[in-house]
Formats: sequence, structure tokens, C-alpha cells
Amino acid sequence: MSELLQATSMVFQWEVILVIIAASLFGLFMGAIPGLTATMATALLVPVTFFMDPLPAIAAIVSATAMAIVAGDIPGALLRMPGTPASAVYADEAFLMGKRGKLGLALGINVTCSMLGGVIGVAVLALFAPRIAEFALEFTSDEYFWLALLGLSCAILVAGGDPLKGAISMLIGLSLAMVGMDSVSGQVRFTLGSYDLLAGISLLPVLIGLFAITELLRSLPTAGRGASRADTPRREGFGGVVSTTWRYKGGVARGGLLGTMIGALPGAGADIASWISYAISRKLSREPQKYGTGHPEGLVSASAANNAALSGAYIPALVFGIPGDTVTAIIIGVLTTKGITPGPDVFTEQGALVNAIFLVFVLANLLLLPLGFMAIKGAGRLLAVPTGVLYPLILMFCIVGAFSANNSMFDVWVMLGLGLVGVFLMENDFPLGPLILAFILGPIIESNFMRSILKSDGELMAFVDRPIAMVLAGLAILVWTLIIANGIWKRPGRGSPTDAAASQAR
Amino acid sequence: MRTSDAVSGTMAAALGAALIVASADLSPLPRQVYGAGTFPKVIGGLLLLMGGLLVAKGLRQRQPWCRWTSKVAVRPFLLALVAVVASVVAYVLLTPVLGFPVVAFVLLSLLFRAYHRRGWGRALLIAALATAVIWLLFAQLLHVPLDPGLLEQVLYP
Repeated sequence: MSELLQATSMVFQWEVILVIIAASLFGLFMGAIPGLTATMATALLVPVTFFMDPLPAIAAIVSATAMAIVAGDIPGALLRMPGTPASAVYADEAFLMGKRGKLGLALGINVTCSMLGGVIGVAVLALFAPRIAEFALEFTSDEYFWLALLGLSCAILVAGGDPLKGAISMLIGLSLAMVGMDSVSGQVRFTLGSYDLLAGISLLPVLIGLFAITELLRSLPTAGRGASRADTPRREGFGGVVSTTWRYKGGVARGGLLGTMIGALPGAGADIASWISYAISRKLSREPQKYGTGHPEGLVSASAANNAALSGAYIPALVFGIPGDTVTAIIIGVLTTKGITPGPDVFTEQGALVNAIFLVFVLANLLLLPLGFMAIKGAGRLLAVPTGVLYPLILMFCIVGAFSANNSMFDVWVMLGLGLVGVFLMENDFPLGPLILAFILGPIIESNFMRSILKSDGELMAFVDRPIAMVLAGLAILVWTLIIANGIWKRPGRGSPTDAAASQAR
Repeated sequence: MRTSDAVSGTMAAALGAALIVASADLSPLPRQVYGAGTFPKVIGGLLLLMGGLLVAKGLRQRQPWCRWTSKVAVRPFLLALVAVVASVVAYVLLTPVLGFPVVAFVLLSLLFRAYHRRGWGRALLIAALATAVIWLLFAQLLHVPLDPGLLEQVLYP
């Protein structure tokens, strides 16, 4: 209880509250503009969070992403252009509702159900994370090695598209992570004689390069042409939002729980959660024929699911230090630079911080309501922001942001290089998620492997002589068999829902 | 630009081979067979394997070597690519000489003029505002040592 009080006093400081509001507004802006994603918002926020204490830093990222996912629904409903990939599945549905004069209802449902889904996600997170953490205290380097490997492997399977390309993307990330001084033996690897690479490649320029510069290079060519004018739903009433949400309360609950679980899976984030939740709600619906004609039922559970997934992703990230998606990968990077290593120990040693993080989640999700409705009212103006001004500004932010982590121009080169690599990879259907996860998990996998091998005096069998390690190892090997089998036998043109999600994201 | 899987597979395999070659002289830990070279070799090997599989797939499906599949046309894409690369290169090379405010202002003016297409007056005005905001945020608020350069006397009298 005292920890909860302490957490409350940590959160309710004007500095933290101000950060939450500012980051929410930033996320709102980034999410509402098609082409700018929640991950990009996070990547651009990180340079600023470097200068904050751990709690406000996390608060900034949590609130920005939650708001970005909600704001992504707005251009989906107004222009049939989803603002972020997580809104793609129901953009058509919301747009059709708008055509039938129910724009206020559609967007109102988006905001309300997102808030509810987010709160369900936080509840599950707060309830289960400490229990799992207790269990995880028993883990040794063997289990962590397998867990990190399993997380990476699942990320490839879930990323959609060709698993072979996902695997290569992951291996590129692992290769980048090995540059610099090896943490176990102290030997210098792959620096090509460069002094700047001795300490390794820093996270921030990689992030900004892969997620901001890559997107910029893909969006800039269309900047300044055909400004997306949209009708403002200014006179739109929000009547029926509460009653519709209440009618499909089962869908909200299902979407929230399902979203949390999917979010907790490594590699599966908000976009996949909303796809699956939409599909399931259609299957279980009493009137599935109405789906795709402007029917709110699918909207309800998918909006709840994508925000719940955000919270769900924090379960593996906080408990094991193994990120489930790109945003939590960034969070882990940020926490590590602040001297906090996410893992079960954080729950016992810094219980107040963990509770404060949960509180921040609740606050950020509650804030979705007022800010979300405000955003809907101002949507027309928001969407009229000229991209010809916006994209050059983002470029300048990227440069200064990449520079600011280490005050080094070398990092700006790294950013540019990774941005170019990212465009090539994206154009060729290599997913970027596994790359960044591998870049962050690489040192964890390698150091735990080396630690185990030193403990056991070079005996490889020691990796599987503990029951949990054995199970994790079995799962990891199973996933890899699937990946390789898929790479060999997969026939072209056979689509899965995740394929569809991946192609929508492009 | 989309290349055949055979091309991207070859690139992956080449990276794998390079990793293996470059890690050849990393010595193992004392009295162990494993060491700093273990992981690079495993990852290099996997890259060779996966790259090889991808090459096989690309050849089997007879994919075209190179084609344009992106939604935007080639010309605007190349122009944007040149604009971004040139901006970053100019920033890195010129900031130590001229300082952040001058370089950022000039770069932003050019980019706004090129992409916003509302004439020079507006481009210069927005660029000046944007430069000031970024300077205030990063240099003043977050204490990032952005180089004042030519304007040192003006900004820090």
C-alpha cells in the first residue's frame, strides 16, 4: 500500500502531468496525419526523453503512443486513409459510417472504446505482471537466453509476409548489435578501425533512421501535392456513442482482453491485435452480413483491441526485459540508458516505479477521452497541416535528435545510412520490426549465452537441463522449424490476416 | 525499387560471408572453444543459409531482376532521396563551419520552397521560425550543444 501511495506522489507532480499532456498532444498530431506512425512518434520523442527522469520519460512514450493509435482513426473515418496501420482494418467501416451521416458516432466509438480497451489492458498488466515477475525471479541466464531467442523468433513469424525475409531482417539486426567492444571478452569486433564504433552503434540513430527517415523517404515524394482537405465534423453530434458502446459491451471486453494477450506476444502489436479482433468479432456476430457496410460492431472491438495491445506489450517488456514490439523495444532502450534494467528485479526493488508506470497508463488512457473528442472537432484543421512544411521539419528534428544522444555527427551518418537501408528493405518486403528487436535483444542473447557457457564450462547440454529452459528451448526450436519450413515450401499468393495487415501498413 | 529475391538473397549471403571472414581472428575465451567469434560465426552462417534459400526462391519463381513497385513515381522519389541525402550531408559538413542556426535556416528555406511551393517569402519566414523553435527546444531547454557558429556573438553576447 505504501508503494501505491509513493507511486501516486511520483505521478501527480506537475512535471509528470505536463509531460503526459504534451506528449499526448504530440501523439495526437503524429497519429492523425497519415504516413506518420506511432513508432515514428516514439522515435522522435526519444531524444527529448533522454533528458528526463525515468518516470516522465516512460510517461511521455506511453501517452504519445496511446494517443497516436486513437488519432489514427480520425483520417481513416474522414478520408478512408488510416493514420496509423493499427486503424487500417476498420478505416473502411468508419468511412462508410461517415457517409451515412454517422461520423460523430463512428469517431466517438473509436475514442470511447480505445479508452476502455486501454484501461482493460492496464488492469491485466497490473494484475498479472507482478505475478509473472515473481515466477521469473527463478530464471537464470539459460532461461533468459531461450526467452530472448523465442521472442525474436516469434517476432519473425508474426511480422507477416515471408518468414525468410523476417529472419534475414533479424540477422541484420543481430549483426549491427555485435559491432563494437564485446561485453564478455572485451575484444573489438567489426569496427573497421573506426574510433566512433568502439562503443557500438547507438540505439537512437538506428531508431530514427529506420523509423523516421525511412518513412520520410517514402512520404516526402508526395508532400505538398493535393492537400488532404476534409470536411470537419464540427456540427457532428456524438449521440448514440454511449448506447452503442453499451450494446456491444461484450465486444469491448473481448477486444480488450484479446488485444492485451496479442500485445503480450512478441512481435505482434496494435495493428495485428485490431485485425484479429475485428475478424473474430465478425465471426461471432449475430449479423456478420452488416460488416463492411458501416456497422459499428467491428469498430467497437477492434478499437478496444488496438489500445489494449499497447498495454499488453509491456508485460514481457517489464517482466523479462524482452520487448514485444518496437515501441517497448524503445522503452527498454531508454530505461537501460537510465541505469534501470527491466526484468523481474525491477518489481521487487523498484515497486513504486512499477506502480507509477501503471498509474501513468491509466492517466494516459483516461486522457484519451477529452483529447480525443477535441481532436475530432479540430480534425479538419489538423489534416490541413501542409505536408510540404511538415516533412522538412521532421527531417531537421531527425538530424538534431540523432545528434543529441551522444552529441556526435557520426550518429547522424548512422541515421542516414540506416534510413537508406530501411527504404531498400521496406521496398523489398523485409519487415523492420525484427531488425530493431534483434538490435536490442542481440546483446542480451549473446551475453546470456556466454554466461551460461562459462558456468557450465563449455557444456552445451547445460542449456536444457532445467525444466523451464527445456520448454522454452523446445518452443524456440519449433518456431525456427516453422520459419525454415515456411521458407522452403511456402507457395506464393497464400495470404493470412497478418499478411493483409502487413500490406495495409505499407 | 524492388529487386528479385535472388539479388537481396545474395546481398544477405554476402553479409554472412563477410561476418564469418571478419570474425576469423577473434580468439575464444581462455580454455574454451567459445568466445567473441562464436556469435558472429553462427549469425554469418545463418545469413548464408537464409540468403541462399531466398536466392533459390527468387530464381525458382523467375522474379524480374528489378522493377518499380512503389506507389510514387520514380522521379519524385529520386528527388526526395537526393533532397534528404544532400540535406544530411550538408548539415554534417557545414554545421561545424557555419553553425546550426545558419545551416538549419538555409536548408529549411530550400526544402520549404521546394515542397511547400508558396514562394520564397513564406519559405524564409517559416524557416526562420522553425530554426528558432528547434534552437530553443534543443539548445536552450535540453542543453544539446548545437554549434552557434557564425551567430555566436549574437546568441551569446
